[in-house]
Amino acid sequence: MIPTVARIFAVAALALVLALLAGCADEGWHGKNITGLMPELEFELTDEDGNGVTEAVFAGRPVAVYFGFTHCPDICPTTLARLAAASRRLPDPIREDLQLAFVSVDPARDGPAQLDTYTGAFSNRMLGLTGTQKQLQALTRRYRITYGYEEPDANGDYEVSHSSAIFVFDADLEPRLMLLDSLGVPQMAEDLERLLGSP
Amino acid sequence: MKLASAIVALVVLLAGALWWVGQVAPESPIEVDNARVRLVPGGGPMAGYMEIRNHSDNVIRLVEAASPAFGNVMIHRTIVRDGQARMEHQSDGVRIVPGDSAVFKPRDLHLMLMQPQRELEVGDQVEIVLSFEGITPGEWPVAFTVVPVTSQ
Repeated sequence: MIPTVARIFAVAALALVLALLAGCADEGWHGKNITGLMPELEFELTDEDGNGVTEAVFAGRPVAVYFGFTHCPDICPTTLARLAAASRRLPDPIREDLQLAFVSVDPARDGPAQLDTYTGAFSNRMLGLTGTQKQLQALTRRYRITYGYEEPDANGDYEVSHSSAIFVFDADLEPRLMLLDSLGVPQMAEDLERLLGSP
Repeated sequence: MKLASAIVALVVLLAGALWWVGQVAPESPIEVDNARVRLVPGGGPMAGYMEIRNHSDNVIRLVEAASPAFGNVMIHRTIVRDGQARMEHQSDGVRIVPGDSAVFKPRDLHLMLMQPQRELEVGDQVEIVLSFEGITPGEWPVAFTVVPVTSQ
């Protein structure tokens, strides 16, 4: 016969474990839930064909947006390749639904043709965008991120600092999730499926 | 019986030869593994990754890298702080103490390979000469394999 006190402890411990599990199920994103924290997507930019576009280009379908530049050999291709791989793991129909976008904050080097070649290496579903400094600043300020340029070297090459996270917007273009660059492909895919799979 | 003796003699000879090679061949002071260049289209810079092991008794330092396939090569490290990513030039090179290794990997240390001199394809080999302080000779040509941009 188990003493009553021990039984009470056991029940309390079980209740605590269940509560923790429920808590995880509720808020267990790998990324950061930003629902309600930032304004809906809005921009004026230029696409890979050189045409002016607004957020309407994504309207009605969710989109994952990354800010970077093509002369970024390490973290940009790493993050974009992970995002593209994660999107390929999603079940239909959300795989078909999710749009991918790369916004270059380095318009001086990233013209439409450069963006087209670059995004095509990751996914034919990825749209390259860039804009004037004014347009890019309006968009980045909206999501409280920044970018900047370092001094050019003797060859005229320069580094660009930029936000490292992926912003995921739902079909109403409301910001919902930030996927950090530290996440692996399975974690990104899990978060995307959880966000986009629920009606 | 003749055949059996011949086989025994051969085995003894081979074992002796292996022992001799093991005794005589000097251990390479460094070893570079998994050397690869991640292909990025569009003429922009690419990243080179690898693992360098220091088998020598000296502290060594990778101070420079150069390649006929690229106009300029720099040693960089990606730094992510407060959600902001930037690259830091490793102007003092990369120091490796005896028995330790330096791992160049995505979102970390990498060779920044600028101005590709020719169109590269997945599967190509490119030579990158790594220059070290602390070992002789200091120059180590290493064959890097070009891998897809989607590889991690």
